[in-house]
Amino acid sequence: MNFTRQFLGILLMNLSGFRQRIAPVLTIIIGVACAVGVLVSMLAMGAGARRQEIADVRADHVVLVTSGASYGQSNISRDEVATILGLPGILKGTQGEPIVVLESMVPIEGRRRVTGNRIYFPLVGITSTVTQYQPQMRFTAGRMFKPGLHELIASNPCARQFTGFEIGDRRPIHGSDWAVVGHFEQGQGQQCVVYADVDNIMSIFSRNTYSSVSVRLQSPADFAAFRDAVSANPALHVEAQRESQVVEEGFKQLNAILNFVSYFVGTIIAIGATLGAVNSLYAIVDSRRRELATLRAIGFTSGAVVVSILVESILWAFPGALLGGALAWVLFNGLSASPFGYSFQLAVTPSLVVLGIVWALGMGLIGGLLPALRAARVHGNHLA
Amino acid sequence: MKFLPLIWSGIWRKPGRTNLIFLQVCVAFLLFGVLQGLKTGVEHVIGDTRADLLLVHGGLGLVDPLPLGMLEGIKSVPGVKVVAPVELFGAVYQNPSQKLGVVAIRPDEGWLDAFTFTIAPEHAAALRSTRTGAIIREGLAKTYGWKVGDHIPLMSTTAQMNGSTDWAFDVVGTYTDADVGAGRETILINYAYFDEARLTGKGTVKHFNVALSDPRRAVQVADAIDRRFANSANATQTDSLRELAQSQLQSIGDLDFLIRAIVSVVLVALLFATATMMMQSIRERTPELAVLKTLGFTDRAVFLFILVEAMVVFVAAAACGLALALVVFPLASRIIPGLSMPLVVVALGLACAVLVATLSALVPAVQAARLNIVAALAAR
Repeated sequence: MNFTRQFLGILLMNLSGFRQRIAPVLTIIIGVACAVGVLVSMLAMGAGARRQEIADVRADHVVLVTSGASYGQSNISRDEVATILGLPGILKGTQGEPIVVLESMVPIEGRRRVTGNRIYFPLVGITSTVTQYQPQMRFTAGRMFKPGLHELIASNPCARQFTGFEIGDRRPIHGSDWAVVGHFEQGQGQQCVVYADVDNIMSIFSRNTYSSVSVRLQSPADFAAFRDAVSANPALHVEAQRESQVVEEGFKQLNAILNFVSYFVGTIIAIGATLGAVNSLYAIVDSRRRELATLRAIGFTSGAVVVSILVESILWAFPGALLGGALAWVLFNGLSASPFGYSFQLAVTPSLVVLGIVWALGMGLIGGLLPALRAARVHGNHLA
Repeated sequence: MKFLPLIWSGIWRKPGRTNLIFLQVCVAFLLFGVLQGLKTGVEHVIGDTRADLLLVHGGLGLVDPLPLGMLEGIKSVPGVKVVAPVELFGAVYQNPSQKLGVVAIRPDEGWLDAFTFTIAPEHAAALRSTRTGAIIREGLAKTYGWKVGDHIPLMSTTAQMNGSTDWAFDVVGTYTDADVGAGRETILINYAYFDEARLTGKGTVKHFNVALSDPRRAVQVADAIDRRFANSANATQTDSLRELAQSQLQSIGDLDFLIRAIVSVVLVALLFATATMMMQSIRERTPELAVLKTLGFTDRAVFLFILVEAMVVFVAAAACGLALALVVFPLASRIIPGLSMPLVVVALGLACAVLVATLSALVPAVQAARLNIVAALAAR
């Protein structure tokens, strides 16, 4: 009780004197705000990319991947697909057909002469079961492509970002004209994706295998049974994986890069800010030697002095953290970024802000340690 | 010069404080070096790629094959020196995770002019005389332990005439590639052999490489080639290697804004922190400075002392931080192959250090210069 009263007394005295020491206090706050602001904004890239990736993942989606290959690079033959269609546990569509989506992806590249910007978008040959596989997919204009015809449907980001994707526009692909007949929204996805009939694409680009096969199950609980049925079938050279697993896998590399960069930069700035805080607190302690010596002379313990300086340091770091988090949110939340050829919106989430605050409190604690020990060495005799 | 000891003792008046400022500046410039190095490094990589080497591919990018017959047509465009057909396919060695890019070329007269490869003449000659020969990228010799004379079996999705999708080549040499955009795991083989042996797509190529007789006319020649084929069944798109590198690294360029924001935030925070420290230091030293002036040092001399003190600490610390950045930089080049830190970044960093030192010492130095001796001594 005595210790608490002593500690509170010193702390209040310290805080009330901050007008005379405004410069060092501001140094701590600004330093911490910068460190937290930078860390939170950089981590917001990873959080934004992740939020977008997992937004459309469904528990009843299963992706079949050629053993050893990564997603979208499978080679699944027509014979294998015939076997897959007969597997148990697959949800049946409105006409009683199993909801299996076959894809064959062709990367298309072009450049608009006017702006010189390169356009890259995947042209995905796909079966029309996709609308039942992804219930969140809906047409905002036009209609689905008709199998066998040279028709394309484009996701809304295509029409927003590039020219030549209005309904009725014709795009030359492989020597013939393809008409854009529909626009669709695909959940949270911000990528430009163009769909066409898979059989058409495969015959034109002379492909014999599908690059991806996905299945919608009757219920997420059927996954284990379905996976076992796939691995037990000697005719299949594929592995069944949950969509969430495939998405995480594909996202791992980008995530690792973003996290590495964020923490690398964040740590360096935090070290700099902590050093600045140490210097400022030393200055504060030095300018208060007389008061501290008086307190010690009238019976305050060195423990109370140490704890009060530490708490003061943490208290100054706290508004810095809030300021940094707020700046990151105001400046960067919702900002579109496309590092490493992948576009998404930055997301400054509450958990990131909390992380920033914890980070700041750590800086305050570490930064206050040495100055607090110096303050503890001030003795009543120093009054003389 | 004779004032050096005076400045030196000024710097070390409070060793703890000076050390902390030193470390802080050092850390800030470490970050400056790495981030600015990344940005400038990417610009250099793009600048170093050849603008005088053109790639002619189908209007849709690399998915559309072009007929080999176009070679003569491209050659007839004025300004074109060498045209080299290139066919690409993917293969795996032993297991699916060991992917290889196979580049089929025609080792004709002067073909190397149209590539960024460096190949020993005897290896190039060996490829010409060995139909099933392959020149492997240098790193692969280490990765898989391949050496000249080895027979390497590959699996692919490209079928041979007999229906098999397995291919085998004989290693006849190694090559290095100066192009940063190129794949690391690639081998070069004879187009003639590959085209004869494959089942589908005979007589087509992915793209043509074009070397120019006058490198300065790259843009005009590229346009002339595209115009030549504009209304044919095989419309082309011609880019220089530099344009391709640019679009590949453009994604990193999108981070420019972020890098600039971080660097300026760090420098401003540093400026603020050091300026307050300098002011604090001058306040504490008021009596000493007054004594200096009493001894006859002019206002200007005192002003310069303070400025030089800051300058020495900052430049030394910045040099230390930039040196650290040079050491750490290879970590960043994991993300972008071929990246190295340009020395211009070091110069830029030192210039920034001088600027920040001047700015943060300016106010305290003016205060020190304007100090009134009587008042300062009386305050003691």
